[in-house]
Amino acid sequence: MALNKEQVIGLPTGAATVHVERGPVSKFAQSVTDGNPIYHDLAAARDAGFDSIPAPPTFTFSAASHWGVFPEDQPPDPTEGRGSPMRKIMGDLMKEGGLILHGEQEFVYHKPVQVGDTLHQEGKVVDLYSKQAKGKTMTFLVTETVFKNDAGDPVVTARFNLIHRK
Amino acid sequence: MAKPIAKLRYDDISEGDEAPVLHHELTRTDLVVYAGASGDMNPMHTDEVAAKAAGLPSVFGHGMLSMGILGRALTDWAGVGNLKAFRTRFTKQTWPGETLTTRIVVTGKGQVEEGKRVSVDLTLSNQDGEVKLDGSAIVAAA
Repeated sequence: MALNKEQVIGLPTGAATVHVERGPVSKFAQSVTDGNPIYHDLAAARDAGFDSIPAPPTFTFSAASHWGVFPEDQPPDPTEGRGSPMRKIMGDLMKEGGLILHGEQEFVYHKPVQVGDTLHQEGKVVDLYSKQAKGKTMTFLVTETVFKNDAGDPVVTARFNLIHRK
Repeated sequence: MAKPIAKLRYDDISEGDEAPVLHHELTRTDLVVYAGASGDMNPMHTDEVAAKAAGLPSVFGHGMLSMGILGRALTDWAGVGNLKAFRTRFTKQTWPGETLTTRIVVTGKGQVEEGKRVSVDLTLSNQDGEVKLDGSAIVAAA
């Protein structure tokens, strides 16, 4: 399969409006073994300087959109129904076998994510490259997703590095 | 406007300082709970039959669960809302029965326009010292 970096960089991976709710935030905190009362007790959150219950640092990775995407206020699909190019690129690589691994993850935090927030999420492909390691070919696909608030200010920037190894 | 309270005193922090260490023994139940809470339903994390059929010794932990445990160690130390950047590389899979241990070491500090910042390197390792995840973070200090 010919991988053309120039063809994929900048392609949209998707967009969504995401609502941050209390139940999902509290249960997500428990699921990462975090019993900090800030994540389930509003008084504790306010004592720590928040307006509302904050989300744990990794909440915007999958959990936020798993719980908070409702059909009535979704933006137009920037992929025009094609879906994320990540699925196509990794799907083509997997036709030849191999394994898909989560290689790296990065978050940059601009503002706290709190219960009651509505986040506007947009993702794009930012890199595609290959390396040879221990006789295997590693193909790296990097996407960047920016979560903005209603005012259009960035709240979290997430970079996701997915590896196909064969 | 939320103004999270920083727990770290900038003047008290030095390169080489370490955050309190957390230990967690990973169970299969942890993986099921994380799958449900995050929506990551990859059967390699929750379905022992499917994992063995794929040639694995058992189910293995979500990388993002490991990152979440390190996130807890960071926010316990620096205060929730004081994390400015957090990056990790997933180097090895985690397995049920392993005891995972966090390590967070200060690598530097400095001032930016928005305030005082402390940089750290971090790892999550098992009981034999095998590193599962390494990375770095930047936290705010007062």
